[in-house]
Amino acid sequence: MARYDSLLDALGGTPLVGLPRLSPSADVRLWAKLEDRNPTGSIKDRPALAMIEAAERDGVLRPGATILEPTSGNTGISLAMAAKLKGYGLVCVMPENTSTERKQLLQAYGARIVFSPAAGGSNQAVATAKEIAKQNPDWVMLYQYGNPANAEAHFRGTGPEILKDLPEITHFVAGLGTTGTLVGVGRYLREAKPDVQIIAAEPRYGELVYGLRNLDEGFVPELYDASVLTGRYSVGSYDALRRTRQLLETEGIFAGISTGAILHAALAVAQKAEVAGKSADIVFVVADAGWKYLSTGAYAGTLDEAAAKLDGHLWA
Amino acid sequence: MAVTVSIPTILRTHTKGEKSVSAAGTTLAEVIDDLENNHGGLKARLVKEGTLHRFVNVYVNDEDVRFSGGLAAEVKDGDNVTILPAVAGG
Repeated sequence: MARYDSLLDALGGTPLVGLPRLSPSADVRLWAKLEDRNPTGSIKDRPALAMIEAAERDGVLRPGATILEPTSGNTGISLAMAAKLKGYGLVCVMPENTSTERKQLLQAYGARIVFSPAAGGSNQAVATAKEIAKQNPDWVMLYQYGNPANAEAHFRGTGPEILKDLPEITHFVAGLGTTGTLVGVGRYLREAKPDVQIIAAEPRYGELVYGLRNLDEGFVPELYDASVLTGRYSVGSYDALRRTRQLLETEGIFAGISTGAILHAALAVAQKAEVAGKSADIVFVVADAGWKYLSTGAYAGTLDEAAAKLDGHLWA
Repeated sequence: MAVTVSIPTILRTHTKGEKSVSAAGTTLAEVIDDLENNHGGLKARLVKEGTLHRFVNVYVNDEDVRFSGGLAAEVKDGDNVTILPAVAGG
């Protein structure tokens, strides 16, 4: 059924589409889970709504409350939509080196943005949000990096959808940020298929983003569970852009830049299966569409020019 | 057996500011020992109690070594080893 009582009810149930042109052979197939087909256009609608509903059930989030969240963009946009419909305020702490479209969308939904310094990337946003939380004890920080409802949204939603549509799945590839998608989907799939491979694609940014004062300022999300993963790739902006364009040119899918990084890892996995002479059904996540990144120049000019423009930006 | 090791900003005090240095070894542990010989102090920043520091990620040709044997991960001539601090995404 494609009729829903409200936008929030239209969450999930996203298409899984085959990629006949990008798949290496009839035995090694790639499948794209189109998470841009969610209410605000990204996979983050799932954890955002799940975290809000969990906080409502727990009595932490009451009518008229203000939500506070560190986010590089998509989680903030998802929260902003849900907060608007449910009557909450939203304050997002966002690194200043994110795309202008993300800022504009947050503002259009009525969210307030507190910018954190570009150097240090999301680490700084997390640290700033924790400071703000201390000063505003009545605000509710959902904290996507450590909130079990994040991974649970994928355990209950994304994972079962994928297994139902493709029972023969052998590999799942997704982006590594909060780790919620990989941990939630990974745990679900592993229960049904102990041999399933769970592969992370981690964005590798320009040096600015790794500008910590010392290593002990490093950050591993509380949700991260390495035992769920079987592999983890680091993908730089050049490869992410190259694959983003390849996905558009060969299969017609207009995706965001993080999806290019995920596809890069998925193709590496596909290549390994092909070389080993094994059949594979590889599902990867299309985390969002390309609209929010047009201003970054990702889709125009040479790859080298586009990669140079992205240097120092948070594109995932 | 030479590999290229890219060094993050935060650790370049040990490499006289060099972004990328070469090192020898057939495993990551050997590469790190060789790095230590030429760039003293690096090993202690990377390895704690026999395993990789919690907030250090090391990739061989873009694959995280924690999923391919950790310090025992094999490296081949011409491989690219990338060292990065663990930072938040999302």
